Amino acid sequence: MIRFDDVSKRYPGGHEALKQVSFELEKGEMAFLTGRSGAGKSTLLKLIMLTEDLNQGQILVSGRNINRLPARQVPFYRRRIGVVFQDHQLLFDRSVFDNVMLPLQIEGYDKHEAARRVRAALDKVGLLAREKLNPVTLSGGEQQRVGIARAVVNRPQILLADEPTGNLDPELAAEIMVLFEQFNQVGVCMLIASHDLSLITRLKHRMLTLEQGRLIKDEHQPSRTGTSP
Amino acid sequence: MSAKPKTRGNSKTSLSARQHLLAWLALHRECAQDALRRLWQQPASSAMTLAVIAIALLLPALLYVTGKNLSQFDDSLAQANLVTAYLQSDTDDTTVAGLRQRLSAHEQVSNTRFISSDQAAADFAEWSGLGDVVDALAENPLPASLVIQLADTRYETARQIEALLSDEPAVAFVQMDQLWLQRLDSFLSLTRRAVLALIAVLSLAVLFITGNSIRTSIASREAEIRVMNLIGATRAFIARPFLYTGLWYGLLGGALAWLMLAVLMLMLSGPAEALLAYYGNQYQLQGLGAAASVVLLGGSAALGWLGARLSVSRHFTRF
Repeated sequence: MIRFDDVSKRYPGGHEALKQVSFELEKGEMAFLTGRSGAGKSTLLKLIMLTEDLNQGQILVSGRNINRLPARQVPFYRRRIGVVFQDHQLLFDRSVFDNVMLPLQIEGYDKHEAARRVRAALDKVGLLAREKLNPVTLSGGEQQRVGIARAVVNRPQILLADEPTGNLDPELAAEIMVLFEQFNQVGVCMLIASHDLSLITRLKHRMLTLEQGRLIKDEHQPSRTGTSP
Repeated sequence: MSAKPKTRGNSKTSLSARQHLLAWLALHRECAQDALRRLWQQPASSAMTLAVIAIALLLPALLYVTGKNLSQFDDSLAQANLVTAYLQSDTDDTTVAGLRQRLSAHEQVSNTRFISSDQAAADFAEWSGLGDVVDALAENPLPASLVIQLADTRYETARQIEALLSDEPAVAFVQMDQLWLQRLDSFLSLTRRAVLALIAVLSLAVLFITGNSIRTSIASREAEIRVMNLIGATRAFIARPFLYTGLWYGLLGGALAWLMLAVLMLMLSGPAEALLAYYGNQYQLQGLGAAASVVLLGGSAALGWLGARLSVSRHFTRF
């Protein structure tokens, strides 16, 4: 589903964010991307979302080299990828419902069909009762769940999350992870960047570890107790 | 993974072309309404922008209307084709009769009319309302004259008659409407040029005004644009609300200019009609007219849209 071949990214100014990273995520696979701040987690996700360009190597998504995608096709490519941001990136000038509606509006969905899907997504994250509220009135955990509903509402094949639990207390963070596992169970390929080792090591999923831009560990069956091999 | 994309694909293709078109139209309508609502939500800044656009459009419209009203005179005077010969004060009736006979014999003169010096004084008194002044004068200063109607409206004809008249000892001075007409003509073509130049310059102004307003509204909606971009909105989709905003600015600014012009015409109509009454009832104060109104509104809407487009293509590069 997602394949990195020898990918390097150097920012203008010389900082090397990623150095020769190679890995492959299968269809329906769920993986955590971990490492300290500045290890290159966000950069790796940005490369998949095509908000940054790589300097070397190639990235294949569903067998297509996304770095050769013409600029006008980039929006259509992005629609197939749901993204959950640490700061959720919700719009506070509209209701929860309208925030989740956004991806469907962009795709030109029929209003009734869109409304049905928005409610289904909000129901899934347990916020159906809050659809009319402005997201600014919600708690941090609820805001993040609205962000997740928006990321999954058009049923993407891939879901990326950049520190989705970064601003949440452990209990809420665990709830979010349970949600992600549920989406994974219906076949969505997931890549979740998180430095919250205590949380993600409890979940039995593949773990990719970055250190100073290099992929230093790729554990397919991490133990429940620790990260050391 | 296999089940999901299939159902997604099916539900997408099951939408008919007609449904897609309807959804697309609904989207445009919503976009236009939303853009209007946003203008309404910031009444102060919207009103300022609209007022500036309206004033910029009002200037060429006003000049156009002025030219249009003046060309009424041009048209009707072209039909009049009169030459007036003012006679020496000591000219007697026999000389006048001889002169009229000679003129009538000319094939390019269709008619002559004699206005005696007394008649001229009476006309002037009635015309100007200065009867008392005329009465107070010891001697009538107005000369007698011959008004000669020409057979055609050509300038050469008028010139021929002028040459003929200047040889007559009884004729003191020849006044040709044609000369005056020529001046009016060149003045009118100057006005037309000025209208075009003003339209060009002030169109640029409208373009910059809308462009600048759209730039501020892009800046205020940066978060939204960034999110839209991240979740796969095309540039056209993101730009659409701003283009509609520009369109509204142009259209409403044009409508406001039209309204201002109408009010101005209403204010002028009283004195103007009193003035025009002196020229008989053949003249009327003319407004913009239907065609020019459509051009004004359509043109201003197009300018607003274009200004927004330029602004969008300049400021979207950041996202």
